[in-house]
Amino acid sequence: MKTFLLRVEPLIWLLFGQGILIGTMLLTGWVLVVGILAPLGFFPNGMDYTRALDVASNPVSRLVLFALIALPLWKGAHHLRSLSIDLGGADRDTTVATTLYALAVVGTILAAIAVVRL
Amino acid sequence: MSERQKKTFVITRFDPDTDEVPKTESYEIEVEPYWKILDAINYIKDEVDPSLSHRWSCRMAVCGSCGMMVNGEPRLTCKDRLSGYGDTIEISPLSNFPVIRDLVVEMDGFMDKFNQVKPWIIRAKELAAEDGPMRQSPEELEEFKQFSMCINCMLCYSACPVVANEPEFLGPAAIALGHRYNIDSRDEGAAERNEVFRGEGTVFSCSYANECSEVCPKNVDPAAAVNQAKFNAVIDWATGLVISRDGKE
Repeated sequence: MKTFLLRVEPLIWLLFGQGILIGTMLLTGWVLVVGILAPLGFFPNGMDYTRALDVASNPVSRLVLFALIALPLWKGAHHLRSLSIDLGGADRDTTVATTLYALAVVGTILAAIAVVRL
Repeated sequence: MSERQKKTFVITRFDPDTDEVPKTESYEIEVEPYWKILDAINYIKDEVDPSLSHRWSCRMAVCGSCGMMVNGEPRLTCKDRLSGYGDTIEISPLSNFPVIRDLVVEMDGFMDKFNQVKPWIIRAKELAAEDGPMRQSPEELEEFKQFSMCINCMLCYSACPVVANEPEFLGPAAIALGHRYNIDSRDEGAAERNEVFRGEGTVFSCSYANECSEVCPKNVDPAAAVNQAKFNAVIDWATGLVISRDGKE
């Protein structure tokens, strides 16, 4: 498993890197707008359920939503792996990394299913 | 005339023949205001305690020999003025390295990592002398020049939290050096080095703490080199998925 992790590390780092970009910049704004401002009634006419579903169902929107959900999962998994090593977990890194990346894979699959079924 | 001032140096001592664990010894000496930390350590060695062992050579921040922990920070002792420190200064060997004796650390692992990244120009076909010099524009030189200013002082290894946790990690200076050759317009060995970058001491272990660049006495910015190396290693890996190394699809 250690050899396999080493082999797929470039892909994981690529997903992590994109997750940083999406997670820290876009997702933060997304949560602010959709999760906080909209429920507080800042957009009385622009964010009702039907309209939001309509916008989200567009193929490009589905792709954006997928990236918004899936990529930060890889960012989180990789950061937690680094945290585990920093806390003295280098010896159990293979187990920790496998578990975290497996969760990211599951999350990515679930995100794909969710955006397809919108 | 400048006035001498008393300062106390608390120096970590370790004799592998008699000590199981390192201990500290204090030396109170009078220092000149213009002295660097290395001047004080040399004074202690020459005038107070000849048994003290430490490495040094050029005294002008070029050879990279005199790196030590000063008040817990990796510093090049020939570069830091004593006037910037308080009355008591703690000196210990560089962190993250095995100690041979007192302030002298074992460099073999570090040198091995340097060799792994093949820090020389690799050519698919060596040029003959009659082909003349390999020309390079100022812009091409500027691409890698910064990364070639490393003096191998090992401060970045001492500061790196990843080196502390993962001894096999290639480390900042070695990756910066490999990257320096990868982006040299005369070099054709990037694919070989990228294999090393993705190997056992993987560049992807770097968690971008940036401590290496913070402590670098030559402003090399190894953290930037490591991150550029990561990106290039990923591109090289992705390219290798569709194009074989001999250029056939």
